Amino acid sequence: MKRRLWISLIGTIIAVVGALAFNLATDNKPILGLDLQGGLSVILAPEEGASEADLLVIRDLVRSSLERSGVAEPDVRVQGSNIVVDLPGVKDKEEALRSVSVSGIVELRPVVNLSDCSAPITDPEITDDVEPNGFRRSTPEPESDDVVPPVPALFANDAEFLPTLDGSAVCAGPAQASGEVFKRDSASVALGQFGGFSVNVELRSDGEAAWNSLAAQCFNQLPTCPSTGTDANGASRPGQIAIVLDGVVQSAPVVNTPVFDGNVSITGSFSQEEAEQLADVLNRGAFPVQVTPQETRTVSASAGGDSLKAAIISGLIGLALVLVFLVFYYRQLALVIIGGLAIWGMTVYSAASFVSGATNYALSLAGITGIIVAIGVTVDSYVVFFERMKDEIRNGRTLRNAAPRSFNSTWRTIWSADLVSVIGAVILFSLSVGSVRGFALYLGITTICDLFVCFFFTRPAVLLLARSKFMVGKRAFGLEVAAS
Amino acid sequence: MSRGDYIASSGPGRLFRGQTAVDFYGKRRIGLIVAIVVIVVTLLSLFTRGLNLGLDFEGGDAWDVPASEDFTTDDAADVLEENGVSTTGARIQRRSGETTDVVTIQIEEVSRDVALDLTNGFAERAGVDPEEISFSFTSSTWGSEITDKAVRALVIFLIIVSIFISIRFEYRMAVAALAAMVHDVIVVVGVYSVLGFEVTPATVIAFLTILGYSLYDTIVVFDRVQENEGKYAGVRMPYEDIVNISMNQVLMRSINTSISSILPVISLLLIGSGLLGAVTLREFALALLIGMISGIYSSIFVATPLLAALKANVGRKARRERLTGDNLRAAVIGSGVTGRVAAAPTDVEGDNDDDRDGDDTSVTIVEPAGKLLTHPPRPRKKKRR
Repeated sequence: MKRRLWISLIGTIIAVVGALAFNLATDNKPILGLDLQGGLSVILAPEEGASEADLLVIRDLVRSSLERSGVAEPDVRVQGSNIVVDLPGVKDKEEALRSVSVSGIVELRPVVNLSDCSAPITDPEITDDVEPNGFRRSTPEPESDDVVPPVPALFANDAEFLPTLDGSAVCAGPAQASGEVFKRDSASVALGQFGGFSVNVELRSDGEAAWNSLAAQCFNQLPTCPSTGTDANGASRPGQIAIVLDGVVQSAPVVNTPVFDGNVSITGSFSQEEAEQLADVLNRGAFPVQVTPQETRTVSASAGGDSLKAAIISGLIGLALVLVFLVFYYRQLALVIIGGLAIWGMTVYSAASFVSGATNYALSLAGITGIIVAIGVTVDSYVVFFERMKDEIRNGRTLRNAAPRSFNSTWRTIWSADLVSVIGAVILFSLSVGSVRGFALYLGITTICDLFVCFFFTRPAVLLLARSKFMVGKRAFGLEVAAS
Repeated sequence: MSRGDYIASSGPGRLFRGQTAVDFYGKRRIGLIVAIVVIVVTLLSLFTRGLNLGLDFEGGDAWDVPASEDFTTDDAADVLEENGVSTTGARIQRRSGETTDVVTIQIEEVSRDVALDLTNGFAERAGVDPEEISFSFTSSTWGSEITDKAVRALVIFLIIVSIFISIRFEYRMAVAALAAMVHDVIVVVGVYSVLGFEVTPATVIAFLTILGYSLYDTIVVFDRVQENEGKYAGVRMPYEDIVNISMNQVLMRSINTSISSILPVISLLLIGSGLLGAVTLREFALALLIGMISGIYSSIFVATPLLAALKANVGRKARRERLTGDNLRAAVIGSGVTGRVAAAPTDVEGDNDDDRDGDDTSVTIVEPAGKLLTHPPRPRKKKRR
């Protein structure tokens, strides 16, 4: 019995200190939440009826969009029917926000005659050409700079003026296909054969027909996609397809072939940056449904740091006050509480490091508050235990006899009460969104750590102390412990 | 000194030594009246004043701009007007602490471009980097969505916890524990409504913590009640007595735990948010503090009397008045041990009811507690070590 107690006690101490040392050595810290180190958090909600698969697709697209904008390992995940993006400590918040706020889906619209948009306007300029498999067939036109961007307006037969990225405008007909014709995440930037950059994107097998039908209209210069200019030789040029995101024309390449075979290449006079942006848009175009941001939150790094400092300082002061009170009240036995709380703190730290490393759940202010409240609940385990021992001793039992009996009844109380907390934590975690989730996670962790420390540290420590001569003749319970 | 068979002369001494004999059950009406008053005040306040819901529940944009001599709430209003945003619906307030000083601006939802312009406008006016400004946007439907989710989680939690308590203890205890919990939430909501504190997601989390804490505290008390129930199974002890005995036995534990739980929260409130000026901490700490105090109170004055009332007409009929005064004290001291009580600790007809105050100066000896053990501790043999 005694040997097993020693094994449990020393084993726990070694395991917990070892885990802590390992975490410290490998610099494995709990990830701090947005409200503690500053950063950006966005919650996106898809429109009604988005399936689970849609959500996963959006999640991956947002993630890769962020990665392209230079955020390493962005934390993007599906929570319930929402997409949650947490970027604690992100440097360039504005850039990150732009990468995340992809609201629209990409539309493919033919460029139509200006007369369809009624308002007279100068020639829409052509930026890029499109051709299959990277064969370049026409030279890009020089950019025009004398176009006034009009406000997008809807006209009969659904044609409307849409602004382009460089501030001019084109008249676009009704959308005939969406970005879903492109294979997900397949757009990439390559060096064109004759210098300059080209954007290559693959067509989905089920999207090829829609794209080719639109391309054929444009190539054959049908009324739905008429010629909009002349090429260098003065011949009438094939029509253009406008790639539209959020009502802004990203690119309007000329179609140089009626049939595309699974692969589209857009070449033109764009810089590398512009080409990458277009590739981005085409990748985004694979958004299966429209999403809108529901909550956006940026916290400055200094405000986050202040909160963290205040939480830690006040937490430690609170803990110190509790310990002073307990030492005053329980005297020698408070040693067990101090040791137990130290072990508990180390276990919570290690568990938090492990969990936030494995699941990316950051320790937020809500989590820290949960831990501070947990101090009270953890101390309660000791109080229940010691008060029971006090009763037993006062009724004539020796300390040695009272300790194991008290522990048995205390353990029953503690696990019943703690189980309720764990149930609450699990339910909150699985059903709620955002910061409530982080809180539930840390509530669960601290409660389980409490049970762990209570059984594997407090029990052997107190039972061994009760058997030793250390307590004999000391005042511990408002009465002296008699020599047994 | 080492034996517990004398009664401390002063109140705190008796408390310390676990010798109190407070007739909690007899005073149950006080608890009931307080609870009813609290509920009525809360409901009145909810209907007349409502809750001061924060941005996250109503939707809109908000900024925290570091304040300085050069940037005041008037400047913030100017920036809003310059960008064509009406200041009528806007809430602009200055929140200051020892080290931090911010101007918080809350307006109704505007487009993202306007929001960006405003951020830069505030930054320029305050003379700080835009990165220094905290910005948050919440859509108007989001608040109701998270509230719905939280309520759904709560309902499921309550159902599962009721089932758990019913299995582990009994269904009457589940009813009493949940009633105490509802009481605590009503108290906190009432305080927030009457004083007009802003309800934020932080407050909601604090509410949830309170629910957990209240249940935890109640279960610790009920566990002792259930244990004593088994202990007195053979002696037809009235339930009110069992409740009274259990409450007196856990009184010191409740006080100690309360102090240990509340000290960190007070530190969070006074040092964290007061001295160091972390505004978000205040929202947490305030709700927590009120909820914890209410949680401790309700375990003793709401949950347990209610349980006794629910159990009053069940099973054994009380054949006598409940124990009070020194008889109760003797029972409290006597049953604080593991094992089963074989016989009633005192005479059935207590003759010195309700006059324990009169005994304060003299040391009263009741039955030596050692007799109450089913088997007295064995004298230890010298060589057995």
